[in-house]
Amino acid sequence: MKCEEFVAIGLDAGRDASLGEVVRVAAREHASTCSRCAALQDSWQAAGAELRAFAEDTAMAETPARVEMRLRQEFRTQHVTLKVRRAAVVTAWALAAAAVLIGAVSWRNWQKEETANHLTSPQSAVKPPANNSNVMTNHERPAQSAAAVRQSDAAEAETLMADNEMSGFTFLPGAFAADTGDAEILRVRMQRGALGAFGLPVSEERASDWIQVDLLVGNDGLPEAVRLPR
Amino acid sequence: MRIAEQDRDDVLLRRAAKGDEEAFTILYRRHQAAMYRFALRMTGNTWAAEEIVQDVFMTLMRDPKKYDATRGALGAFLYGVARNRVMKHLERLPREIPLEEKNEDGTGSGIVLQDASTPAMWVEKRERKLQVRAAVLELPVEFREAVVLCELEEMSYEEAAQMAGCPIGTIRSRLHRGRALLMAKLEMLRGVPRRASVAR
Repeated sequence: MKCEEFVAIGLDAGRDASLGEVVRVAAREHASTCSRCAALQDSWQAAGAELRAFAEDTAMAETPARVEMRLRQEFRTQHVTLKVRRAAVVTAWALAAAAVLIGAVSWRNWQKEETANHLTSPQSAVKPPANNSNVMTNHERPAQSAAAVRQSDAAEAETLMADNEMSGFTFLPGAFAADTGDAEILRVRMQRGALGAFGLPVSEERASDWIQVDLLVGNDGLPEAVRLPR
Repeated sequence: MRIAEQDRDDVLLRRAAKGDEEAFTILYRRHQAAMYRFALRMTGNTWAAEEIVQDVFMTLMRDPKKYDATRGALGAFLYGVARNRVMKHLERLPREIPLEEKNEDGTGSGIVLQDASTPAMWVEKRERKLQVRAAVLELPVEFREAVVLCELEEMSYEEAAQMAGCPIGTIRSRLHRGRALLMAKLEMLRGVPRRASVAR
């Protein structure tokens, strides 16, 4: 073994388990023949002894008790907070589910009532035409279209009577403002494309949108004017 | 000696994760001293060591799933966390190395002399230990870590390499250079009072 090798691995050959027995023997032999390396080993052993003495002084060192107290306090806080948080989450979800359930049941009941009202008194929503059996006007087709929309979607159609304010109506071709004295306002839900049947311009892109429309229905049961409620 | 199933670290950690304070306390008491000694020897600062130990166990408490029992012992994992904290501390405060500290009760740095038969010997030994301590703390961090792990913690080269996350050869060379520096510093410290007394 050379001096460089001895300095690199031989000084602590006894402890280094990765070295083989041959290397250890070579290190011992080198130390016995080279006075410089032997002195270096002695010096290191002296430093090692001092290090061990220093290590012994801190061998019994322990974390102060206050750290354990702080950690235990934190542990309690964390786990209590966690439990409270979990309980809060569960409660929040339960309340949300209950609210959704109540809302769904209420909506269902309301729908049933509305459908029942609609079926028992249809004349309250749409007045039957008085003398239209013999007269075929140019309003007939739009009226039929609107009626078809109402009937096809009877369960969902909203046949609420709109407010009685007459402003904002667009009169259909052939209708006159003077004829609206006894007219009633009827709110219906229809596809936007159906407005085309009234002679109104409709965007093709939005023709399939469902919208609410106020119809001003005259004495003869035919729509006189139309309004898009805000 | 085999550790009973219910006392194994991973079992205790699982219990602690479910809120068992006693299990956490057992784990803490089992590992705190080793962590504290390592941090103290690396930083030379009791307050820093205390903070580091607290941080290590806070990490374990807040995120116990970070420890994977299949990858090694809990002690090694905690050493790794402590090592990271120590490195961060040393990066943050590279120059803050107090040589003398007071304990909670106002006494010295915790060095206890067991065989000081006379006051003169007591003073001499105490001074010598302070010099060794100062010399260790003045080593560059990588060399200091190798010296602390191999010489003070008395770990094997394999264990030290595993702890430091580097090959055995690296640990060996760091230890070699650390020793050389340490010996030079100790020689220098030894020489200063002699020269001073000669000058007088």
